[in-house]
Amino acid sequence: MTDDNQPRTDGGTATALPGDSHDDDHLPPRWSLKRWLVTTNHKDVGLLYLATAMFFLVFGGVLALLIRAQMWSPRAPGTGVLSAMAYNQAVSLHGLIMVFWFISPFATGFANYIVPLQIGAEDLAFPRLNALSYWLYLASGILVFASFFQGASYAGGWTLYAPLNIPAFMPSIGATTTVFGIVVFCASVTVGGVNFITTIHRMRAPGLTMRSLPLFTWSWLLTVWMMLLAFAALLAAVMILLSDRMLGTTYFAATTAGGSVLWTHLFWFFGHPEVYIVFFPALGAMAEIFQTFSGNRIVGRKWFIVSMVLVALQSFIVWMHHMFLTSINLEVKTLFMATTIGISLPFDLMVFALIYTLIKGRIRWDTPMLYAFGALVLFIVGGITGVFLGAVVLDYEFRGTYWVVAHFHYVMVSGVTGLIAGLFYWFPKMTGKTYDEFLGKLSFAVYFTGFNLLYFPLFLAWGTPRRVFAYRPEYVGWHRLASVGAVILGIAFLLIIYNLAKSIVAGDDAAANPWPYSTTAEWAVASPPPIENFPGKPSYASGNLEFLDDGATGAAAADGGTAATDGGHAALESGHGDDHHVDHASLWPAAIGLFTVVTAIGLSGLQVGSYPEGLEGLFYQGTSVLGVLGLLGSITAMGYENFTAHEGGLGEAWPFEGVENTKLGMWVFLASDVVLFGGFIGAAIFLRIAYGWEAWHPIPHNPIPGLVNTYLLLTSSFTVILALVAAQKRSRKGVVASLTLTFLLGLGFLANKAIEWVVLFSEGTGLDASVRASTYYLTTGLHMGHVIAGLLITAYLIWRAWNGAYTDGNDETLEYFGLYWHFVDIVWLFLFPLFYIV
Amino acid sequence: MIPDSTAASVLQSGLVPQGTRVQVFSEIYWVFLGLGTLVGAVVIGYMLYNAYKYSYQGGVDEEDRPKLGEVPTGGGKGKKLFLSLGLSAIIVISLIAWTYGTLLFVEGQTGEQGVDVEVEGYQFGWNFNYLDDGEYTGVNTTNTLRVPVDTQVNLYVTSADVFHNFGIPELRVKTDAIPGETTETWFEASSTGNYTAHCYELCGQGHSYMDAEIIVMEEEEYQDWYDSQNASANNESAASVAAAGV
Repeated sequence: MTDDNQPRTDGGTATALPGDSHDDDHLPPRWSLKRWLVTTNHKDVGLLYLATAMFFLVFGGVLALLIRAQMWSPRAPGTGVLSAMAYNQAVSLHGLIMVFWFISPFATGFANYIVPLQIGAEDLAFPRLNALSYWLYLASGILVFASFFQGASYAGGWTLYAPLNIPAFMPSIGATTTVFGIVVFCASVTVGGVNFITTIHRMRAPGLTMRSLPLFTWSWLLTVWMMLLAFAALLAAVMILLSDRMLGTTYFAATTAGGSVLWTHLFWFFGHPEVYIVFFPALGAMAEIFQTFSGNRIVGRKWFIVSMVLVALQSFIVWMHHMFLTSINLEVKTLFMATTIGISLPFDLMVFALIYTLIKGRIRWDTPMLYAFGALVLFIVGGITGVFLGAVVLDYEFRGTYWVVAHFHYVMVSGVTGLIAGLFYWFPKMTGKTYDEFLGKLSFAVYFTGFNLLYFPLFLAWGTPRRVFAYRPEYVGWHRLASVGAVILGIAFLLIIYNLAKSIVAGDDAAANPWPYSTTAEWAVASPPPIENFPGKPSYASGNLEFLDDGATGAAAADGGTAATDGGHAALESGHGDDHHVDHASLWPAAIGLFTVVTAIGLSGLQVGSYPEGLEGLFYQGTSVLGVLGLLGSITAMGYENFTAHEGGLGEAWPFEGVENTKLGMWVFLASDVVLFGGFIGAAIFLRIAYGWEAWHPIPHNPIPGLVNTYLLLTSSFTVILALVAAQKRSRKGVVASLTLTFLLGLGFLANKAIEWVVLFSEGTGLDASVRASTYYLTTGLHMGHVIAGLLITAYLIWRAWNGAYTDGNDETLEYFGLYWHFVDIVWLFLFPLFYIV
Repeated sequence: MIPDSTAASVLQSGLVPQGTRVQVFSEIYWVFLGLGTLVGAVVIGYMLYNAYKYSYQGGVDEEDRPKLGEVPTGGGKGKKLFLSLGLSAIIVISLIAWTYGTLLFVEGQTGEQGVDVEVEGYQFGWNFNYLDDGEYTGVNTTNTLRVPVDTQVNLYVTSADVFHNFGIPELRVKTDAIPGETTETWFEASSTGNYTAHCYELCGQGHSYMDAEIIVMEEEEYQDWYDSQNASANNESAASVAAAGV
């Protein structure tokens, strides 16, 4: 191809088609608010994620500006823009919001929109769960927002170090709400992770093997795997924290041996993978953009992927380098120093691969490429300054200073820069409009200047301790420069938002493929793509992307280029006539999100086991009850709703060819649940070692009730299997009887447990009696929560079976429930000896 | 782990920065800064060079460019890639290995000699309890630490409430102050004068002002001060014993 000045596709034809006319058989139109409440389509959910994340960017940015205003001068006590507590809230919430509520969800937005298109899937495996993860994300964000209005928000830094995080040192109800927000955010991430892992593994187009996945999809697949496991560890940490705050357990009390260090382990086991969780999607976007705008395929593609996989694995074995100044010993320090160097090396390779991709290219400096290139430059600076921290002797001095602040802002915000590159890159695809190129380039110039003015002086002022506003006068100049840079960077973001908003309203229509050398499938469909994404069944089986006629066995489309060009036509004409009906709308995910907010607000009033006095207490109690009822109702309604989604396994599904989507989803969920229980059990063991292993005795005096419960649960596992056998024999009575027996056995377990607890309480052994009691009640309580959830599902299954479900050959639901139930029983087999015998 | 004998010979070879923590830090820091700047300049310079050289200029193109709808591939330049990776790995690993010797030196130093002080952080200040053979001497100060010049000072740092971090930036010493745990570290001041210690872990409302004054004194001056403190501490305890006896 010699004439690469011309766009190769006449996408204008495709986009001239009214996109909405195609949607209205399932969904309200885009201008209707109702559409955005009920939509489960991955593209809509992606846009919701992006818009909400942008809101939190502005929110976190305003907090950053407040911090920089306070840092304008070293402040004497009681002076400055913010009070001491307001400042502490600003630094804490700035960190939390940017990391949790901006960067990750921003990336999730792109992934939602682009990944299904890149892999040739019409939607995610579980569209309603996708909507649910968005609504839980929004709910968690609303909780954080609300926390400012409940006394004070969290004020102990985004790392939530113990024991500052417990009510004895931070009594405000708002702090509990913030932690609740993180819990809900973890739930959102877990739901999303299950969905994406299932989708990417099971729903790829024929010919799109793992090795040939586009790099953005690869980066996202590894991101969601890391998220699934790392956020489960964080969930364990914040659930324990919530229990300390709300129920009065004493894991993190200052008097608990090892409590503070336990928190640092739990937090950083999550916290370090989080760095890569934040950066990987940007890296994937940068890889796509470098290829598209240089006109070269990436150098060393295989090694690039291998490097990403290595980083994802290694990210779980470097966490203690955040703890070099705690009481860990030299051997452990040495080990973690080595793993830390180890994880830097794959990054070197990826950086070089990106740079070498430029060679012999025909590089076009459109806005996405400017941002992607800038992101790589900033990342290199962040990486080099990170090597300083890898040298333990230097780390000792940099710990807790602005060196760390400057370093991780270079790394994290270079990730943001990469995602902004993605925003400009995919904007025409997502909106069907072209952005203003001049404003885009101008925004980059302002952005890059502002970024470096803001963060580079922080290296020079590195002697400043973190999170203080009284610093040495010799740093005033650098801090003022940084504050000026912060304003400039803020202006750059406003320019970006203005450019995109203006273009959505008044921009030119975008071609299906506005970039000369793009390759991935999202550019082969109209901008924006129709609701079912593709004009036919996408396939790479021939070595090129083709859209096959539904039902036709042979290749109907001509070469990939042609199919790509008039994608829109094909979509309209074939119209999915013989496709089975697929749903795109459900109100229940939004309802669950709403009632999650209500429940969390209500429960946040609970402090160390009791509600506040008087009207305030009544408000919190009433809100809790309302929320829980609403939650149960909307979850049941969602379970009962008929909803058809796309099933995978039609194309590439390695390594899960033989597993249905829901079964894989259940397995993936249980994998995260293993980590959750691992966090709780690990915490109990850690505290026991700190306490003295031998001096620690089980809380229940008598192991016999626990043993009885072991038999009850094992038997109930057996009866679930009987239910499945009965279903296969099409015996309605058999299914109902076996499930009822399961239910009764589970109820027996709970009753036995209740008696045990009542006796213990009456003897004065409450949750706060000792750290032994805390770990016993909370860990077995978490398990009991799983049992209760299982029994609620069993009750629902009995009701459905009574009405004739599962005996019509569709007994998968029983099988998936069985997986869950067996898992709960297996966990008990670990808990029983640990908490009753040794 | 590196055997002790090897470690000892490495430590004596003269390659490894040793001395006060100020000397050690500055030597390593400047080497890192020099090499880091060099590597950064080379890599970013090379990026900019390629960015300029291969910018789109029109004209005829002979290369096989990516096409829409192709299965993603990419390769080539493997040798160059691994050569660069190898180079960067050598630089990083040798730098870190070089500092590891210093780490062994720094870690091996605590408690070998000198003055022992327990540091206890609280919201929002610092208690200093002077120790003798691990026992409290009764000499205690709050928010002011007096130490002799040119003498190693061993700190045993803990906290009475929340997680703090005790650091004296000019003397390049820092460690976590964790409730229920004790961390050990040391420093040596090579000139008299006043320094300021800060808290380096967000610990609540008064975090920004949680400072302590470090007064480095001449050896004799310090000894006079310490003896007078010690005497009054003993008098006090004698007095309280006497008072209890009555």
